[in-house]
Amino acid sequence: MPNRPVLILGLTLALASCVGDGGRGHAGTPDDPFVIGMSQANLGEPWRVQMDADVRAAAEAHANLRVIFKDAQNNSLTQRAQVEELVEQGVDLIIISPKEAAPLTGPVAAAYRAGIPVIVLDREVQGDEYTTFIGADNVRIGREAGRWIREALGGKGKIVELKGLMTSTPGQDRNQGFLEGLDPAANPGLEVVFSGEMEWLEPNARTEMESALATHDPIDVVYAHNDPGAHGAWLAARAAGREEEMLFVGIDALPHEGQQYVAQGILDATFLYPTGGAEAIDLALRILAGEQVPKRITLGTRIFTAENVARGGDPIE
Amino acid sequence: MNRGVSSRLRRFLATPFARALLALLLMVGLGIAFNADGAFFRWSVHRDMLRQVSVYGILACGMTVVIVSAGIDLSVSSVLALSAVTFATLTLPMGWGATTAILAVLAAGAALGSLSGFLVARMRIQPFIVTLAMMVFARGLAKVVSGGKKVTNYVLAPDGSSQVVDLPRVFELIDSRVLGGNLSIVTVVFLACVALTWVVLERLRVGRHIYAVGGNAEAARLSGVPVGRTLVAAYALSGLFAAVAGICQAAQETQGDPETGMGYELDAIAMVVIGGTPLTGGKGSVTLTLVGVLTIGYLQKILSLNAAPEATRLMLTGVIIVCAVLFQRGRK
Repeated sequence: MPNRPVLILGLTLALASCVGDGGRGHAGTPDDPFVIGMSQANLGEPWRVQMDADVRAAAEAHANLRVIFKDAQNNSLTQRAQVEELVEQGVDLIIISPKEAAPLTGPVAAAYRAGIPVIVLDREVQGDEYTTFIGADNVRIGREAGRWIREALGGKGKIVELKGLMTSTPGQDRNQGFLEGLDPAANPGLEVVFSGEMEWLEPNARTEMESALATHDPIDVVYAHNDPGAHGAWLAARAAGREEEMLFVGIDALPHEGQQYVAQGILDATFLYPTGGAEAIDLALRILAGEQVPKRITLGTRIFTAENVARGGDPIE
Repeated sequence: MNRGVSSRLRRFLATPFARALLALLLMVGLGIAFNADGAFFRWSVHRDMLRQVSVYGILACGMTVVIVSAGIDLSVSSVLALSAVTFATLTLPMGWGATTAILAVLAAGAALGSLSGFLVARMRIQPFIVTLAMMVFARGLAKVVSGGKKVTNYVLAPDGSSQVVDLPRVFELIDSRVLGGNLSIVTVVFLACVALTWVVLERLRVGRHIYAVGGNAEAARLSGVPVGRTLVAAYALSGLFAAVAGICQAAQETQGDPETGMGYELDAIAMVVIGGTPLTGGKGSVTLTLVGVLTIGYLQKILSLNAAPEATRLMLTGVIIVCAVLFQRGRK
């Protein structure tokens, strides 16, 4: 029979160490590890699930780190509350992948002013009251895809573009970069013959692709703004018996998605949209060690094709 | 003689079915006018339209039954997603046979539908609220079943290693075509659902009860209709069809995606309403819904063939829904 007062005292102490800022300033040893709060905008998108997985995998390699994961379920106010909670809990550093800039600028700035370093991932906040921003460049990734397609076609061919949500910045950037890389002005043989909006969704991509197949023969390349879109296009082409006629190029290259499609011979190329999860943990360790870090880090991409997918793709710097 | 024919024709033209048909014909006319360099004249385009609209159409069949009972079922899209991930999970990582997996998924869909029906009939909660709750709940359950990820043929073994397994034949079977490649299996499934719904509503006693309950639940009760059981049956049928749609969706996507089908319930409702089944209940039929499904299907296909921008598509769809309903109401 355990001694009740001791038990209560123990519970109270345990509780006390969880709340308030009693925990701030951990030593960063395996016994007293640094605590990092990770606030994710939502875990509905596979890419964001991957981001959390990358953070977790990178952190597990360091015994002196502990990460608290929070999912804001695509609600800015929930995410704001979570940032405030993390400050209250006295974490040593916050990593946030914000849902949107305006409502989260204030909470991030407040945490930063309270002396907690903040790493902002993927989407930006306004102003400069954060420690560092890590993000990928969709224009650049689109440009690489465009260049790869131009070279694969030898400057001549008919292209179908299946666009993401064009009211979103990634959709606009992947379109703009693609056209820059393809450069149809200097390569008059290259022609985007069909351009449909599939809003990142595979069933919509399949529908759009069926329309493209009905109105254009032959088609040389399908460029989709994400891998599920390219996969949907491939399904449509296969149903029409025309999947061998054209190349399929996607973006994102998630390990369980785009990379698998390439390994299975469905996609001919996909370009990584990096999550920055591993880089964030690297940077967090440097910040916690007192190092100065750059205010802004732009991640490169990687290309995955049939020949290099087994070894993890090749970087494009 | 001549007058007899013309008056019969006039009477036919005043029926909701004739009006729905006329709207569909107008849509086909639009397709002929904007034929995208002759693409509209190829059967493959119509075949693809039918494939594409089938999943929505299957949902619309169940929706018709529920709407005739003066209810609504907002949960169909989530039950679809839950069924898709359950089907993919059972057949891919768990390696169940196709038949058992399909039966299990159909049973689960019907059970969730029955639960909604029970809450509507016995607990007297409004259908909108019940099925809204079911919509949220089933979406959550879909995420639990799938572990928050798409369930694909890329399977993680218990020891953490991963492998690509062959996609079960049932996936390809459902996503294949018959009649010399001229009709998709999912369209056949859709037409079978229409036929089943027609039999239930027009030929079975429960169908008559559904119309009676939808027309006036109190009067139906007083004349001895088992209102509770009838409502449970209506929602169970809707859940069953949502499960059928989920299996078709998984087969066509070659995966179970917990996020799939978002917003499909609204498309299904629009198809029912455009067909001419009023939301007030007690009236309407699945043949009307079939015409409504085709009308929306052609609209989407024509816009897609002509690569109309997304904004135009949304606005046109809104305008056409209102026009179709006004057209339906034109004359009593």
